[in-house]
Amino acid sequence: MDDDELIAAIASGDGDDTALRELFSRHAPWLAARLRMALPPDDVEDVLQETFIAVWQNAKTYQPRGTPAAWLWVIARNQAAMLLRKRGQRPVLLPGEETGEAGPGADPADAVLARAELAAATQALSGADRYAEREVWQLLYVEDRPVAEVAQLTGVPEGTVKSRAHRARRLLRAALHSTHTAEGGTR
Amino acid sequence: MTAPDDVDLDRVWTNVAAEVWRRHPGRIERTAAKLLRSPGLARALLATPSLLGPWLIGSTLVLAIGALVQLGANQPLVWLIAPAVAAVGIAYAYGPGIDPAWELARSCAVSDRLVLLTRAVAVFAVNAVLGMAASAATLGTTAGTHTAQLTFGWLIPMTAVCTLTLAVAVAVRSAAVGAGAGVAAWIVVVLGRGALDSTATSPGLSPSPSAGTSLAGAVTDPNLYLPYLAVAACCAAVVYYVTRPQRGAQ
Amino acid sequence: MNIELYDISRRFGRNVAVDGVTLDAGPGVLGLLGPNGAGKTSLLRMLATILPPSSGKLALLDRDPAKPAARREIRRRLGYLPQHLGYYPSFTVVEFVEYFALLKEVPPHLVPKAVAAAVEKADLGPKAKAKLRTLSGGMLRRVGIAQAIVNEPELLLLDEPTAGLDPEQRVAFRALIRDLGQTATVVVSTHLVEDVGAACSEVALMSNGRVVFRGTPEELTARGEAGQGVGDAPLERGYSAILAAARTGS
Repeated sequence: MDDDELIAAIASGDGDDTALRELFSRHAPWLAARLRMALPPDDVEDVLQETFIAVWQNAKTYQPRGTPAAWLWVIARNQAAMLLRKRGQRPVLLPGEETGEAGPGADPADAVLARAELAAATQALSGADRYAEREVWQLLYVEDRPVAEVAQLTGVPEGTVKSRAHRARRLLRAALHSTHTAEGGTR
Repeated sequence: MTAPDDVDLDRVWTNVAAEVWRRHPGRIERTAAKLLRSPGLARALLATPSLLGPWLIGSTLVLAIGALVQLGANQPLVWLIAPAVAAVGIAYAYGPGIDPAWELARSCAVSDRLVLLTRAVAVFAVNAVLGMAASAATLGTTAGTHTAQLTFGWLIPMTAVCTLTLAVAVAVRSAAVGAGAGVAAWIVVVLGRGALDSTATSPGLSPSPSAGTSLAGAVTDPNLYLPYLAVAACCAAVVYYVTRPQRGAQ
Repeated sequence: MNIELYDISRRFGRNVAVDGVTLDAGPGVLGLLGPNGAGKTSLLRMLATILPPSSGKLALLDRDPAKPAARREIRRRLGYLPQHLGYYPSFTVVEFVEYFALLKEVPPHLVPKAVAAAVEKADLGPKAKAKLRTLSGGMLRRVGIAQAIVNEPELLLLDEPTAGLDPEQRVAFRALIRDLGQTATVVVSTHLVEDVGAACSEVALMSNGRVVFRGTPEELTARGEAGQGVGDAPLERGYSAILAAARTGS
């Protein structure tokens, strides 16, 4: 069964707990990995638990317009945000966040989770075939070097640097987009 | 993407499963748990075979038919049927005869004697209420002066029949034998008392010559109440003795 | 020590089922071996507090099970799987395990998680909501194991626990009881010598109501090499050598 069918089975009648088990086995690992980028292990376990309980209780509200994975991530993200807000804890901020770049009144919980999403999205640049894009991303955006310097360091024309940067942004945008495409489901 | 090593997904799933598989006790069970001060005892009570829906419906139907027959032909039957129905219910309330996990249940913290007592009292009470409702529905239709005795007097012989049934059922470890013994004993008492009435020339107590009321001596004769209660007490003692921890599981 | 038996005997009429057994056991897995009629089940029933000894001293979890309050406390911390366990056909796996969790007086707010953990440990997760009447013999045995461990017992008594399990399930079961034996006293009564070898840290061999050997599986194997044992495996030879010696009185 695909994920849509599993969610439909969970939503049917009294609920198919074996379908939930299958959904858990497919998606809990990557959800845990993504959450772990922002939360300690105990909190990851708590959030995952609440996420799948919410899936069990709200499967009927799922509408298969987006991807099930994205729907699950939205639920997990919301559960994580609720946990952080309830705790009232100040999450550990990365350099850059301390200068208030997120803006006044911004929710630290959202900042933490956005960081997790970005970290997960950069997985899109992790393959061996993405070395060129990864290199340009690192030099141009992380180290903030000018295009001319990047061209000199990588030994390619400036036009090539720009096109590699464009491809890197496109890959990241697609990866980030997939985490936000969740129409329907609980928020 | 694989899960991080420091996140225990098995534990997470167990917690999710706990919520998904959780049984939500109904209002009756929650009330029973508060009254009995034991959720385990309440659950054991609600799991009594002769208190389950189908059984209660069957008992109600039998008593209703008995009441209808009484209404139609003026033959009193509720007083005759109620003790027998209750006896069968008691036989199937507790014990190795009906509980396939009885040995295991005896090793649990909730005392099996307490389960026995709670179930027996509950089954008796439910059957008494059903019987009285059937009797009350026929109030005033029975000829003669025995209305109150016939309507409620069967409760005392019912006590004796039920305790006899329970004593036999736990002693021989068979619900069917217990039920048979209880019902048979009741029939013998009814017929025997009826035979005495029809051969004796006693004034007053059995004015109606109809067969139904002559048999009702088993219920209407106050001289029998003390013997009934004595039988009940003896059988209760047998149950207490048989269920003592010394007996063990054979 | 979780188990302390001193000169324990149990008689049924003229039959002496257990004859002067002295045994103690702490955390770990104790295998109880012996032929049919050796007294293993009677001994296990005494440890499960459902059969009192005819004579001798018995202490379980540092308490005297002859006293009602102590017996109740022991039973809260005890898990028992009888040799023949009946089931309630209309119950689901989870309902059955939960029923016994409640009878063992597991605190109600802990019951859902305890049930889920026990069902998962017994590898019954996919069948959690299946009715017991739909399960195979091996699965029903695993349901029995689940109810025995639901209260995280300090004393776990298993009578022929691997009956009906296939080889893969037996391997998983042995791993489970080795794990449980880290903190609890597990007594496994079995006639399968390989179960003892794989899972038990100690072995007691019974014959005619007496313990005729107590030691490690390696010591039992050594007795087979030294004696006249027969069998395909070293443990079997040790087992038969000791039984032969016990029968001849040497």
